[in-house]
Amino acid sequence: MTAAALPVDSATSAAHQATLQAIAEPGGWWSGADRLAIVRATRTAPTCALCARREKPNATALDGEHDNDGELPPIAVEAVHAIRNDSGRLTRRWFDDVIDMGLLPEAYVELVAVTASSVIVDTFAQGLGFDMPELPEPVSGAPNLERSDDVEDAGAWLPLAREGRANILRSLGLVPSALKLFFGTFGRSYYMAPDSQFALDRAQVELVAARVSAVNECFY
Amino acid sequence: MALRESVRNSDGGDLLAGLGVVTGRSEGDAGVRHGGLLVNLADAVARWRWDEVARLRGCGVDLIGLEATRDAILVAAGFNGITRVADAIGIRLDTRTADASVELRSAIGIDSFAPLGKWNAH
Repeated sequence: MTAAALPVDSATSAAHQATLQAIAEPGGWWSGADRLAIVRATRTAPTCALCARREKPNATALDGEHDNDGELPPIAVEAVHAIRNDSGRLTRRWFDDVIDMGLLPEAYVELVAVTASSVIVDTFAQGLGFDMPELPEPVSGAPNLERSDDVEDAGAWLPLAREGRANILRSLGLVPSALKLFFGTFGRSYYMAPDSQFALDRAQVELVAARVSAVNECFY
Repeated sequence: MALRESVRNSDGGDLLAGLGVVTGRSEGDAGVRHGGLLVNLADAVARWRWDEVARLRGCGVDLIGLEATRDAILVAAGFNGITRVADAIGIRLDTRTADASVELRSAIGIDSFAPLGKWNAH
């Protein structure tokens, strides 16, 4: 914690701790240890030498190794680093290459959810002036191979949940526990519940959200 | 999601006209109270520029208070995550969101963010 760090409110602290604990447990397609390795890969991404020297994400032309601890398959590290460092320039071709190189679509969905959830938790902690939170110990157990059949093609790279008000809310529907993990984390950051409240007014919240979306070159 | 709600809750033309600040095409507050500070703080958080975040955090506490500054960082952190989900799944803009945000998307030029080949296999 730095001298000027802001105190964390108890509700967000509890929600983000719950996220990390949930990540430490076996998921649909990754073990708890694997999911924690995804978080560590997310944390390593900003200083990855390979990411720093390449112009855009490219899964098939790796001229070296991503900085990593060897706990994940190389294609998983590629996916995590590309999502963390250059998500605005991901393309269908990059995604197809990732899948062709052996990452199951369901495992990819879960990887996206874990990566993005850890981005939220770590960004918030560091934004307030704290170090990134310590990770819990992994919970043993095997993935349950969860896959929803209640999905449909909606023009995305992967099928989306059939139900949902907007595509972003349907996006991780192929693996329901991944959807639950991510939106359980994100829920503190936006108007996801009828009683959501912020010390900012609505226009201020939207301005912050829009600026972050623009910085990340997010089309959606 | 953010764009749709922005339209719904803006004060009208002034906000749309000022939204070049969102993409950095202009400076100002976008017609939003303390908008300049919030845009700069959101920018710094999204880029993980922690020294700048620390400086703006101090400004924020003085100007808008601790809770509002913390909430701005919380919203920024959340959207740093959800933009990655949207981009990594390759979702399309759904009709509901598109219809509700057409003016705003035009105002801030966000349609240009979809890279060539975003949805093309080759």
